[in-house]
Amino acid sequence: MIAQTRTPFAAGRQLIRQSRKPMKWQDIVSYAVLTLAAILVLLPLLWMFSTSLRPLADSYKLPPQWLPTAWRWQNYLAPFESNVPFELFFLNSLKISALTTLGQLITCSMAGYAFARLRFPGRNFLFLFLLASLMVPGQVTIIPIYLMMAELKLVNTHASLILPGLISVFGVFLMRQFFKQMPQELFDAARVDGAGHLRTFLQIALPLAGPGLATLGIITFNATWNGYFAALIFLTSWEQMTLPQGIALLTGYMNSGNPSVVMAAVGLAILPVLIVFLVAQRWIIEALTRSGLKG
Amino acid sequence: MLSPKRSEALAAYLFILPTFIGFAIFILYPLVESLRISFYEYSILGDTYYVGLDNYDRLLNDSRLRTTYRNTIVFTGFAVFLNAGIGLLLAVFLNRRMPALMRNFYRSAFFFPILIAHTYISVIWRYLYQQDTGVINYYLALFGIDAVPWLSHPGWAMAAIIIMDVWKNTGFAMLVFLAGLQSIPYAYYEAAQLDGANERQLFTRITIPLLSPTIFFILVIFMIGALQVFDSIIVLTQGGPGDATRSVVMYIYQQAFQRLDFGYAAAVSWTLFLVIMAVTLVQFWGSRRWVHYE
Repeated sequence: MIAQTRTPFAAGRQLIRQSRKPMKWQDIVSYAVLTLAAILVLLPLLWMFSTSLRPLADSYKLPPQWLPTAWRWQNYLAPFESNVPFELFFLNSLKISALTTLGQLITCSMAGYAFARLRFPGRNFLFLFLLASLMVPGQVTIIPIYLMMAELKLVNTHASLILPGLISVFGVFLMRQFFKQMPQELFDAARVDGAGHLRTFLQIALPLAGPGLATLGIITFNATWNGYFAALIFLTSWEQMTLPQGIALLTGYMNSGNPSVVMAAVGLAILPVLIVFLVAQRWIIEALTRSGLKG
Repeated sequence: MLSPKRSEALAAYLFILPTFIGFAIFILYPLVESLRISFYEYSILGDTYYVGLDNYDRLLNDSRLRTTYRNTIVFTGFAVFLNAGIGLLLAVFLNRRMPALMRNFYRSAFFFPILIAHTYISVIWRYLYQQDTGVINYYLALFGIDAVPWLSHPGWAMAAIIIMDVWKNTGFAMLVFLAGLQSIPYAYYEAAQLDGANERQLFTRITIPLLSPTIFFILVIFMIGALQVFDSIIVLTQGGPGDATRSVVMYIYQQAFQRLDFGYAAAVSWTLFLVIMAVTLVQFWGSRRWVHYE
């Protein structure tokens, strides 16, 4: 790697001497570094894809083949035919992610609207109180939550994952930012027209909060879809498990699972994410970085 | 009939009610309860009794806890430094004049790993890191490098986890840095260039000070995230070999949910909470000295 990054530097220095244009070598260096980094990022994913399409007997074959040598799409059926209930993992993850996302969209938009647009005693204090809790790591609260769920006989049910996920302090904060950016005139006009608070929220604020809701929805869905820690703690039977747990099962004890089957399963698991990404990628990148910057 | 002011307040309280009910049940109560449990020898089957500071006494002399803290700090130090450093470097390069198509390609490529679960990334990299059949060692062998025991040697296993983390998370740092860079008005650079500033001066006198809130933000969230590392390690090395890559959160998980020693696990989780709080507060305090807000 060192050798590869040095070459453009050396070449660049020569260019300066020859052409006396100092911008030139810097362009070459930056393209070289960016391209090398992009290749390093994409190679493992390419390996995943090409391995997922190989005949099972060839999946350990070296030298590695980066481009698919075969197109065995039937590998993508193998997880469903394996000894674990893969289709259930998929449906469980879908159910948990969808309900969590729906819940957060409702609770976060309501609270975010109140903190951004309504005046009430204790507003700043309550908001700071919520924000301070962002410092509390989930590992501190998970033990009492587990004991609570055990008491309620909810361990190994999806409710144990969904219920704590119905609210989000980060989500309230994010939605508050979106509601704050809306022009005050809109809300003044609604008041003059005699609209109540609920109607103003439902008919004026929410329709304009589309980008905010979509941002929160994508972030929450992806985080829940990818979540592992809580699922590992709460879900113990195969019928209840989520996709990340299921794929960890497929890899088997000491990595004994066949790489081609496992990679096909990983491919299926990241497919929904990939589709959303391809459809709305520029927009998602913008939303994610913007929400981050305002954090 | 309520006055407008009162009805506004009433509406607001109803709007925040669902969030605060959830907050009370799933954040506030568990936070207080975990502190209480940490003073108990807690059994899920009954026989729970108060032990005072015994759990805290025990953690001070727990050599495994010390090991897991050392691992977590080593991981955090390298992961934060490399993610932020490489992310900033890539963002600066990406912010140079280039065709929009190229920039979008690079941006998408670096962004993609962010969306994929740590679990899946660890599953992929575990195959790549295999000592005999792995792709990485195959290429190292071409350069005459002996097979690296990525997952079976304590030092290499930690390196493997850090490399994988940088692979996954640098893109996020880069995107946030890029957004920060693009918000710096171009006029500042033009003015400085007119005054005869060279490229390095532009970077150290304009870019870095104006980017400092972004740098600060990235350092805080990456540090908090790294101190809680769990998913990637449990799939890649299961904390091994031995305890060489076991993180504090993995230790909490093991004590609580495998050994059912909830009281002790709660005490350990509170030490992690205090560390995270201290890191956050120290950084906020430090930021007043060096972060430059416009």
